[in-house]
Amino acid sequence: MDVPWKKPGAKLPVLEGDKNMSKQTINFMLNSQKVSAQVESDSRLVDFLHEMGLTGTKLGCGEGDCGACTVIIDGQTANSCLVLAPQIDGKEVTTIEGLGSYEQLHPLQEAFIEEGAVQCGFCTPGMLLSAKALLDENSNPKREEIIRSISGNLCRCTGYTKIANAIEKVVRSKS
Amino acid sequence: MKKRGVGIGCMWYGIGNTGLPNPAGAFVDWKDDATVSLMVGAADIGQGSNTVLAQIVAEELGVGYEDVLVTSADTGVTPDGGATSASRQTYISGNAAHLAAQEAKKVVLEEAKEMFGVEKNQVIIRDRRVFVKGQEENYKSLEEVIGGCRRKGKMTIGHGWFNPDTTGLDGETGAGSPYDTYAFATQIVEVEVDTETGQVEVLQIIAAHDVGRAINPLQVEGQIEGGSTMGLGLALYEEVKVLDGKIKTPSFATYLIPTSMDVPTMHPLIVEEPAESGPFGAKGVGEPALIPTSAAIANAVFNAVGIRITELPITPEKVLDQLAENQ
Repeated sequence: MDVPWKKPGAKLPVLEGDKNMSKQTINFMLNSQKVSAQVESDSRLVDFLHEMGLTGTKLGCGEGDCGACTVIIDGQTANSCLVLAPQIDGKEVTTIEGLGSYEQLHPLQEAFIEEGAVQCGFCTPGMLLSAKALLDENSNPKREEIIRSISGNLCRCTGYTKIANAIEKVVRSKS
Repeated sequence: MKKRGVGIGCMWYGIGNTGLPNPAGAFVDWKDDATVSLMVGAADIGQGSNTVLAQIVAEELGVGYEDVLVTSADTGVTPDGGATSASRQTYISGNAAHLAAQEAKKVVLEEAKEMFGVEKNQVIIRDRRVFVKGQEENYKSLEEVIGGCRRKGKMTIGHGWFNPDTTGLDGETGAGSPYDTYAFATQIVEVEVDTETGQVEVLQIIAAHDVGRAINPLQVEGQIEGGSTMGLGLALYEEVKVLDGKIKTPSFATYLIPTSMDVPTMHPLIVEEPAESGPFGAKGVGEPALIPTSAAIANAVFNAVGIRITELPITPEKVLDQLAENQ
């Protein structure tokens, strides 16, 4: 559906007089760094992240169904298309950019590559963050728990098996 | 009551566009340091064509996979590869890349022949080393041989293109030879049908696919698992509902695709029956992976509870209606 304000980076039209009223300052932790920023009251977290240059968080359906925009907020996964930027004031946010670097991949990222868990890659950032949130809470989950943890992340390419295998591999290597 | 059943689905699928020319091209430039630049039009949309094409070129040229730098789907510089569709890129762009590599290799073999003073067919290139058959210890490095080409002003480049051998279909009879090669597959599915709710749960999928030659077995498994999951969605959940010209299922909340919770245990089985016309015998697997799944599931439902559902998806409502009719 071609809805202008659903496009990434697009903003709702704001009346000139209202402009200052709609801005607010937020302070939060982003990938372990302190950030202070001015945000529009009605901007979505996913758009705000994109505006900050963090494009690893993917925008899929924009309706909270696909999980491509998954981030971790205070240890819990969230669809960043359903979170308003002002809501992260005072919170701790982890995006895919906070997981690993090109030089040093996160063990989950290594395992995804080794197990062939990535095809088109659009769901991958969300999958990785859902997996990280699970492992942060439970370092030794069962296969069923792994599968449940990624059930909010849709993947059209892989059939999920290799993704679950990759997460299981990290679990096994730790235990 | 929950009842279990097993069903089989089989398919064959023509690789490439139906009865139409659908060529792809490739350029290979074998550099001084023996690394290779491969340029192909094939668009890698996640199926892994960049990986597979690099493997084909590396295998032919006796270099490592990591020695091949792939530039793909850039209309500014790459030759046309046609669409990433019809399960055709491994087969068609794969052949093009293979031919391009062979052309570049000829120049190097010619040079090696002179260096070693033997016939060209005696020269072997493997692991970045050039040697005469049976005399592996007396090798020259690839850089040295390519350097020899350079000193004589010989470029080590090649181009290749491949168009599958097909004919159009007769307008009257439909007769013709629309594909050069075919993929074959059989899938066996086990389901559990809840006779109270009508819910069908797929417990396992065993998917055997003849891919000619699996250039990258891990990726072939990924294609089989992903394709079968799409087939499962087609069989049980996915439906475009149209009312008064409007699609009533335009979102993931209304058009359901399988989640991780819906996917059964998968047993992908790779069958290798090399295709004569394929690169190292390879064919395609992308679409074939989803074709037999829904038929196998429908057959398994029949095996479990004795009802024949001929219109997908097999929803709980349809199952309950037919079960009621049968009583």
